[in-house]
Amino acid sequence: MRAAPGPLAVAAAACGIALLQGCASHSERMLPVRTALDEGQPREAIALLDKEMEVSTDSDLPADLQSDKSLFVLDRASIQQSVSQFARSKSDFEAADKAIDMLDLAHDAKDTIGEYVFSGSSGRYRAPPYEKLSINTLNMINYLELHDLDGARVEARRLAVMQKYVVDDLHEDSPVIGLGAFLAGLTFEESDQPDEALRWYDQALEFTGFRSLRDPVRLLLAGARYRTPRLRDLEASSTGAAPVSPAASGQGEIVLVVGYGRVPHKIAQRVPIGLALTLFADALQPNDVAAANRLAAQGLVTWVNYPTLGHERGGYALPVAQLDGGYVQLEEAVNVTKEVRAEWKKIEGKIVVSAITRMIARYAAGSLARAAAGSNDLVGVLLSLGTQATLTALDTPDTRSWETLPARVAIARLRVPSGTHHLHVDVRGVARDVTVNVDRGGWSVVSLMALR
Amino acid sequence: MHRPRSSWLAFRSSAFRSLSAFLGLLASFVVGALALTGCASHEYVRGSDEPGIDRAAMSTSLDKDDIERALQKLLNQLRESPIMNEWRDDAAKGRAGMDTVSVVSFVNETSEHIDPQLDAMLSETETWLSGANVVRLVSHERQAEMIREVEGAQHPVFDPRHAPQYGKQLGVKYFITGKVGAADERTDDSRRVQYFIFMQVIESDTSEIRWQQRDYITKAVR
Repeated sequence: MRAAPGPLAVAAAACGIALLQGCASHSERMLPVRTALDEGQPREAIALLDKEMEVSTDSDLPADLQSDKSLFVLDRASIQQSVSQFARSKSDFEAADKAIDMLDLAHDAKDTIGEYVFSGSSGRYRAPPYEKLSINTLNMINYLELHDLDGARVEARRLAVMQKYVVDDLHEDSPVIGLGAFLAGLTFEESDQPDEALRWYDQALEFTGFRSLRDPVRLLLAGARYRTPRLRDLEASSTGAAPVSPAASGQGEIVLVVGYGRVPHKIAQRVPIGLALTLFADALQPNDVAAANRLAAQGLVTWVNYPTLGHERGGYALPVAQLDGGYVQLEEAVNVTKEVRAEWKKIEGKIVVSAITRMIARYAAGSLARAAAGSNDLVGVLLSLGTQATLTALDTPDTRSWETLPARVAIARLRVPSGTHHLHVDVRGVARDVTVNVDRGGWSVVSLMALR
Repeated sequence: MHRPRSSWLAFRSSAFRSLSAFLGLLASFVVGALALTGCASHEYVRGSDEPGIDRAAMSTSLDKDDIERALQKLLNQLRESPIMNEWRDDAAKGRAGMDTVSVVSFVNETSEHIDPQLDAMLSETETWLSGANVVRLVSHERQAEMIREVEGAQHPVFDPRHAPQYGKQLGVKYFITGKVGAADERTDDSRRVQYFIFMQVIESDTSEIRWQQRDYITKAVR
């Protein structure tokens, strides 16, 4: 009697093969985009992202935004900003902001089970705090570049909501808040809301890199009631003549924001269990170590699949800015890479534990397949190995992250005589030349995002 | 000769059973993985084919349903207000006696980019007033230019304190304006936005608020 595999089994095999072919991790799918950016081809990178999202133009959004495609939208937003397509960049940031928030809120037990049983990337994406805060911060730059204070205030309020959640619920603090607070303070200062501006500037002054704020804050303190201990200290320590407002001195202001490099993205690692135990023994529970040690004897197909952090881009770069031919000093406002590494350190242990749990699940599945073979040892061994090898291949490490987030951001706030000025900003071989016209008492924000 | 063939058949039968079991097991993992990652399909639909399509909330932003409800309440209250009776009395004297009104953009003080929705509210209000035929409406096309003249290019936003200047520039006796504020809160598993919508009629000569009403809308994702 011939026992043929049933339709379910055949379908399963087909699905398995299909899945094996479509198992590229997020960082693997982003490789061509990163390569294009490395080569100084941001428009090519945008075209590649459009292709990945299956959209025909730079302004189209994918139909299924409630999926990991929202990360591609986020990446496109950063790159659009780097090529000064601010209107398109803000549309992308806003779409990605809502989609990623939805993904974050929809995270449930099913996703956790998926992460611990099937694949690291089977759960919904949870953005780390620095990513949540950076979306509104970078989008504020788009609105300020476009002189749209209404839109910038909306982004500042969204940042406030997310900041409150990150601080109160997640009990985290992030230097990204410093940059966001600087931009939000500027937004409210230029909107003639001095108390709200001071509330933000007070937060920015908590972090280093905002010395240029001292005089604007002293000016605001003269006409506002909002005070904190830090602001009172600044008020008391101020010596010399009181600063004169730009309008009174026939001047205006230019704010420079320069982002450069890219934060380290996640890369997939597949290492034998023995090596994983050597690398992460301190992150594992004793029971997990014992179980994993037993499995180390499996040798050939006992692999642990987990993500790790790659290298950052542009860590040693120095941005150069010139105003009307003279050099301008920039201050480092935030080192995002440092944030990425610190956040990764916090969750790395949990990720490795879930990877080893998946490995144990694969081993259990292999044992079931072997038991199903009954007395036929040879077939049992082959099926056990086949099951484990297949599930190992299906287990895609979760390498999802915002890969085009600038590694560092530097700022400068300059007083200039009212009139036309020429700015040249250059970092990592990416340059921007802008001619800005600043009215008396007016302002202008100029940004450069060099994502090489 | 018979025994080896029988043994081969037994081995093959066992192998097929094992293969079926393996594939069944694999199927359960694949189905599980697919269920967890989610396989969604999309289609385009027409509102006239599915009348209930506007009912579902798609985000925490304001949608057509929210705007309709808010305006229905606010404009019904305006219909019954003393200022509307005043306008009716003046309109009864003929077109020359009609008061001139301009509807100014609502101010967005929320954490949502709802400016297109606020523009829609403005247009709906203009349409309603036009239909009421009790005032002469001044196009808001000129407003932006006029506000820029009064407030300066750096911050060209309608400020009710400067209503007399706007009134002179535009030749308008009353402004209808409003603002939308919001309390936006987020927790680990939900986000809620409570909107506070205010609408008011300001007399341009005196900056006096002649009528004001409000409505509340709450949107949440959880």
